[in-house]
Amino acid sequence: MKGTQIGELEEIILLTVGTLYDDAYGVAVMQNVEERTGRKLTISTVHSVLKRLEEKGYCESRYDGATKERGGRRKHLFRVTVAGEKVLHESREIRNQLWNAIPGIAFNRGE
Amino acid sequence: MIDRILQRLCKDDLYEGIRGDLQELRAFEIEKMGLKRANRKYQWRALGFLRHTFFKRIDQLKLNIAMWHNFFTITLRNLRKHKAYSFINIIGLAIGMAAGFMILQYVHYETSYDQVFENKENIYRVQTNRFNNGELTTQWAAGCAGVGLHMKEDFPEVEDFVVMHQSAAMISRDKNYFQPKFAYYADESFFNIFSIPVLKGNRETALNKVFTVALSESMAKKLFGDEDPMGKNVKLNDSDNFMVTAIFQDFPEKSHMKFDVLYSFETYVHYQGEEARTAWQWDGFLNYVVLRDGTDPKVLEAKFPDWILQREGEDMAQYNAAMEFVLQPLTQIHLISDYRSEIKPTGDKTATYFLLIIGMFVLVIAWINYINLTTARSINRAKEVGIRKVMGSLKSQLVHQFLFESSFINLIALALAFIFVLTAFPYFNDFIGRASSYTWPDVNWFWLGLGILFLGGIILSGFYPAAVLANFKPVTVLKGKFSGSSKGNLMRKGLVVFQFLASIILITGTYIVYKQLQYLQNQDLGFTTEQTLVIETPSFSRDSVRQVRESVFKNALVGESFVSGVTNSTEVPGRNPNWNAGGLRLLSQTEAESNQYRVIGMDKNFIDFYDLEVVAGRKFDDSYGNEPNSLLLNEAAVNLVGLNSAEEALDKDFYFWGDTFKIVGVLKNYRQESPKAEYDPLVFRYFSSPNGLYSVGINSQNVRASVDQIEAHWRTAFGDKPMEYFFLDDFYNEQYKGELKFGSIFSLFSALAILVACLGLFGLASYMTNLRTKEVGVRKVLGASFTRLLLLLTGDFLKLVGIAILISIPISYYLMNNWLDNFANRIFLSPLLFIIPAVVLIIIAIGTVGYHTFYTANLNPAKTLKDE
Repeated sequence: MKGTQIGELEEIILLTVGTLYDDAYGVAVMQNVEERTGRKLTISTVHSVLKRLEEKGYCESRYDGATKERGGRRKHLFRVTVAGEKVLHESREIRNQLWNAIPGIAFNRGE
Repeated sequence: MIDRILQRLCKDDLYEGIRGDLQELRAFEIEKMGLKRANRKYQWRALGFLRHTFFKRIDQLKLNIAMWHNFFTITLRNLRKHKAYSFINIIGLAIGMAAGFMILQYVHYETSYDQVFENKENIYRVQTNRFNNGELTTQWAAGCAGVGLHMKEDFPEVEDFVVMHQSAAMISRDKNYFQPKFAYYADESFFNIFSIPVLKGNRETALNKVFTVALSESMAKKLFGDEDPMGKNVKLNDSDNFMVTAIFQDFPEKSHMKFDVLYSFETYVHYQGEEARTAWQWDGFLNYVVLRDGTDPKVLEAKFPDWILQREGEDMAQYNAAMEFVLQPLTQIHLISDYRSEIKPTGDKTATYFLLIIGMFVLVIAWINYINLTTARSINRAKEVGIRKVMGSLKSQLVHQFLFESSFINLIALALAFIFVLTAFPYFNDFIGRASSYTWPDVNWFWLGLGILFLGGIILSGFYPAAVLANFKPVTVLKGKFSGSSKGNLMRKGLVVFQFLASIILITGTYIVYKQLQYLQNQDLGFTTEQTLVIETPSFSRDSVRQVRESVFKNALVGESFVSGVTNSTEVPGRNPNWNAGGLRLLSQTEAESNQYRVIGMDKNFIDFYDLEVVAGRKFDDSYGNEPNSLLLNEAAVNLVGLNSAEEALDKDFYFWGDTFKIVGVLKNYRQESPKAEYDPLVFRYFSSPNGLYSVGINSQNVRASVDQIEAHWRTAFGDKPMEYFFLDDFYNEQYKGELKFGSIFSLFSALAILVACLGLFGLASYMTNLRTKEVGVRKVLGASFTRLLLLLTGDFLKLVGIAILISIPISYYLMNNWLDNFANRIFLSPLLFIIPAVVLIIIAIGTVGYHTFYTANLNPAKTLKDE
């Protein structure tokens, strides 16, 4: 079923949603990703990833916080769900295990 | 626009967030980069949201499938119910689209030459105009020798230049001889300026040494076969060796240039001296310059007059001469230029734009047909519209319905047009004499053209009828009181007038083009061209051996019974003489009175051979020995020299490049160049065996065998060198090829336009008379005669034809006068040239309308009135 796997881009965006906490909407996510990772995403890509994450149940959304620049339109705000938190932990856990499994000699080439 | 699309397609719960984000980004960017760029970025970004992830599901799209299904059914039903109308509509549109498309692609082809070259917008050709005694005498494509070099020296705007000069030499490898048509000496900068790919060799240095040559791929193949030519030698005129230093890709068909062989210009300088680089009073050199980015060619051109004056002013003042340089943009040369020594035949701007107009005419006529037939028949659909409105259909939905119908019909027509084009394309290309290598226009452009045709068709032919139909008021319509508005009638009449107008202009145009061509071809040329074979003299070095060989060949020919005569000359009629000599005058005149003349060298048989008429004095004659000091003029030259009559010219001394000749005779003007142009001033000089052409008269029916026989003699005399020959009448007629082609394209598309217009008229007439069936019945019962009824029914249409004819006269007069102005020798527009096409159109119109009127007027009133 859907929701058991998470892609690399999805992971980054989900983490960003977490860092932004209550102000995670399209533009903010896009800018934050660019600031932290240097990756330039188009706004439509961000939207489609957020939508996918919501469909998988890793985040939930609501509308709030209209501003003047937005032509009076509300922000589509996202928040990480419990399931989202879990999947992030899982993926971190997997990575940690893999890191730990690497024999010391593997990365010590050239010393 | 894009916002509305997004709103329609995107899920409602997503749309607000998307739109808000887009707007926020834009607000942020307006500060950063200004409104315009921010808006553009906004559009692009918005396009990014057109992905199915954001889209509503089909059933949320508010698309009323049932309604569209109904539109479709109704459309098909209508098409099937009125087969004749549908047929006329669709065929007319298809022909119009096919014609429009073919012409568009032709015009596109003609106007997009030389696009492949890099830096094309900065490359210009320097075209030279020369004036004598204040009159423009010669316009050179390949002009003054030193102009490129000196421009580069004197103007910082000029970055680089290349100079070229044609070579008529024969090229050979072992015993493999070729007479290349496109051989030039070219400067080392050639490959820096023209970005033609160099397949082998170094493009920087290929042409920088004496006796080096660059070959085109196909020429290399001809000379060397599969061998690698690099570093090997070819022979020029069987004497000098040239080393092959580069192989370049063949020039594309869509270029005004073509080169098979490029010898280094150094070699030409080696042969002719340093003058070939620097001379200003020596013509025949193609000069291309590269201007620095951002240079305005007009500004640079404006500096030329002073520059010329400063450099050559004093010199030229002596001869009362002047010169002028024009910068021709590389990509336009094909279309705008047609001067002496072009590399290959150029296009014709007037003809191209004329064709464009005609193509558009055909297309517009087809669209008008559609509009007329649809609105005229709208009365039939009025009830349907009424019912739909009563049932709650919105006006916008009705417009959608009729637009859908017209899109559907246009689509069928487009498919049909596509089939037409596919079938006709090879014939069309053949017909207009397009090179065989040419197949289809660039793919992108092709689809764009198709799209424009289709959208244009829907918009032009769909909106008006849709608006008319959707505007009907249900109450009036359903009450049965409806009968087309007078405004609609006027509109329809206006459109019919326009159709006739276009047709009559095309008929008149065709007729006048035809008359002008006939006039040109029936000109008295002043010489005979029948059964004359023209052979190029072999080009190799002049020595005593050659003279022996030439006389062997000539004597062998004269000995043949099928040969009626042989002559040897530098030119034959039908060619623009290559030898152009300036500074010529009577010995008694001052240098300021000198002029430019074209010179033809001939042996003693030339005048008799071509049956030229001597109006005063004598021709060259054996009894006067070798005639080293005599020459002949033609009447035009007598005029130019400033004498009043041929007799006056006799025995005058004539100054020719440092020598003095006696004028011994005057020839009547004949059409040396072409009946299109004015008589050129010609000077004839005697040579015992001039380099150029042999003309051989053949009086045998079996021409093929005679040519074979002559070729055998050629081989005996000159060995393996190829015999290049042509028939004079074909060659002379080549000159009309452009006009003939233009004439036939013109008539083809006129015929199409008229056919389409008639189809429309036929449909319209049948419909209109149909509506009046009852009226005719009543009139008949009341005693109207058959002829009166015919007049009544036809009269309406004839009135429209009459109006169209009246409007057309000034338009055709203006257009055709313009076209005829291209010819020095032209017909004048007489009333008859307008009356005959008008009569033709009236006959066509009566013929088209006649069938229906005749039928209707003949109906038995008892039948037509019985169900009232």
